Amino acid sequence: MSHSSAPGAVAAAPPGARASGRPVRHRPLSRAAKPLLFCAPFLVLFAGMYLAPIIYAAVSSLSTIRRSGLGLTAPTKVFDPLGNYTRALHDDAFIGSLGRVALFGVVQVPVMLGLALGLALLLDAKSARGKGFFRLAGFLPYAVPGVSAALIWSFMYSPLSSPVNRLLAHAGVTMPFFGSDVVLWSVANIVTWSWAGYNTIIIYAALQSIPAEVLEAARVDGAGAFRTAWSIKVPAVRGALVLTTVFSVIGSAQLFNEPAVLQPVSAGSISSAFTPIMSAQSAVAAGNYPYAAAQSVILALLVGVVSITFFKITGRRESA
Amino acid sequence: MKSTVARVASAVGALALTLTAAGCGGSDDGSSSADGKSSVTFWGWAPGYAQAVKAFNASHPDIKVTYQAVQPGAKGGYQKMLNAVKAGNAPCLAQLGYETLPSFAAQGALQDVSAEVSADDQADFQEAAWKSVSLGEQVFGAPVDTGPMALFYNKKVFDKLGLKPPATWAEYRTAAEKIHAADPKHYVSSPYLNYDYAGLAWQADAGWFATKGDAWQVTMDSPGNKKIADYWQGLADDHLISNAPMYDQGWYTGLGNGDIATVVGAVWQAGVIKGGTKAGAGQWAVAPMPQWDANAPKAGNAGGSATAVLKGCDDTKAAWEFAHWLSTDPTTYGTLIEKAALYPAAKKLLDLPQLNKADPYFGGQNIYPVFAEAAAQVGTDWTWGPLMTKTAADLDDGLGKAWAGKSSIADALSDAQKKTLAEMGKQGLKTTP
Repeated sequence: MSHSSAPGAVAAAPPGARASGRPVRHRPLSRAAKPLLFCAPFLVLFAGMYLAPIIYAAVSSLSTIRRSGLGLTAPTKVFDPLGNYTRALHDDAFIGSLGRVALFGVVQVPVMLGLALGLALLLDAKSARGKGFFRLAGFLPYAVPGVSAALIWSFMYSPLSSPVNRLLAHAGVTMPFFGSDVVLWSVANIVTWSWAGYNTIIIYAALQSIPAEVLEAARVDGAGAFRTAWSIKVPAVRGALVLTTVFSVIGSAQLFNEPAVLQPVSAGSISSAFTPIMSAQSAVAAGNYPYAAAQSVILALLVGVVSITFFKITGRRESA
Repeated sequence: MKSTVARVASAVGALALTLTAAGCGGSDDGSSSADGKSSVTFWGWAPGYAQAVKAFNASHPDIKVTYQAVQPGAKGGYQKMLNAVKAGNAPCLAQLGYETLPSFAAQGALQDVSAEVSADDQADFQEAAWKSVSLGEQVFGAPVDTGPMALFYNKKVFDKLGLKPPATWAEYRTAAEKIHAADPKHYVSSPYLNYDYAGLAWQADAGWFATKGDAWQVTMDSPGNKKIADYWQGLADDHLISNAPMYDQGWYTGLGNGDIATVVGAVWQAGVIKGGTKAGAGQWAVAPMPQWDANAPKAGNAGGSATAVLKGCDDTKAAWEFAHWLSTDPTTYGTLIEKAALYPAAKKLLDLPQLNKADPYFGGQNIYPVFAEAAAQVGTDWTWGPLMTKTAADLDDGLGKAWAGKSSIADALSDAQKKTLAEMGKQGLKTTP
């Protein structure tokens, strides 16, 4: 891409001569090469740590593994570009896991962001007290590592120890947190608990950028707190909402920690292919890396399509 | 400026080199250094292995073993080993559970060391354990420990109801009914999953896999397995089994307060129960496993591991020498019993003093003779499958539902068999009905 300067193309000025106070280079780098040079450390790391694994996964997903007999020798790979993909699209467990996280995303993301938006508006309200405390309190669950959070919640949900159910027992009801139809929403609750505060902070930060005179003008025009929130504040944080939505959608697609931790205590409600990542993991457990790679590629493509579509739909230029 | 370019370039180069080096955590695959000393690297996680390696190096000047602790197998250790084999920089030796060994073999990750093994070496080990490390004529490592099973029971609960430890599974069922009738919060036991459940099938010789010529047989839905499945299903259907998941906090609590009255488990469960349930001290005791046929007593096995030789090992002679020593040296093994509650696979170690003493936790009972008796009764025909990690996960999906009353144990077994056969077929492994 960059054409390095040809050997003959040395600067005309003799060595050491000064032109407009700048030292003249012996061999000027071409204009394109210089930024590349500064970016080199990044580019090397980016290529090695980021691109290489992605390319490796994509390439390996194009082969299927072949063993023979008892299979006591290393498996061979056969180039079969569609083999793993065809299998994945006919794999009920994998397709089911995609449907599950899709349902999860459609419900959990709006609920969580609605909650986050509401909390941010409350924090931003003129009459709010103890803003610092609530900002921190809302943010704290995000600081708890996902696996630890899932462990805490597994204790809250477990039929053996659930303090929630112990309280409800007085009223003669129990909440089947691990019921087949309930368990997805038990997981959604953990994710919401972990991330609502984080999203609140992002939206709250966007609210801070609304010029005071705009809010002042609204007040002079007789808009109440609700009207101001709806007509001025919400449109102003549109960008932040789009961003948090896309992040949350990606998060839903990558759901793994919470269901994986709850699995052993879920009485079979969480299967080993509950989410797409778990499904890919179970292909790894079968020693079938290319098939796991194919599932990951399909998941990445779907998330990409959903994100781009969402950006397209919401992508009208934000008017200030 | 030229020098700057050179500096940046060399910095980038150095960085890339560092990354590459970091990516391939240096491990040698068994080589002889200049002074003619063999060197072997060993990956494992059992407490006490590091000390054992030190002792070996002190007493064997011609071999240097380097021990590197890794995560326990199921928690990432096995993945790391398989990745290292793929990358061509695996250690010579690795700790490997018997149930996972065939999966490693089926990925071409193990090395046959039968050339180094003498008939005497083989005779050192119990037959079932030896079968676990060999396939046909090939030998992939040395057995370290085994998991003969017995019945751990809460003596306090049993005594209160005037019950004796059940000698047969029929008596076990009667005890289950009495225990639950006396206190609706009390259950005879909790759900068994994956390899713990396998031990129950093992006792009845209800195998899951077999090899026939160059083909695998999957027999998880055999009549023998159906019998075991239906027995436990009967207990579950009548609500005689607790819903506390094994090894969960609720399970430990139940072991301490009498809610869970028995655990059918391997010898290492003694350590699990002691470590997790302080409240149970003095209440628990050990009896032989209940029998299907009292006249022909048999025991199951759960767990146990080998020191396996990984593909790419150059110095198999030194590797085998260390692996054999680790499994048979009395002093070292005594320490391993104390530190890791291992139970020897080597016959001559069964009378170590560490395996012959009263344990206050078990009410002053010397529990080891029960396991020594069981070890001799473990069937030798059990074979693990080539995709065991996946098979176990598929089985647990079904078993979890079955114990919760949403499905049946028999269905869990036949589903796991279907999925295993499908995956074997996809990978081209040969199967035969």
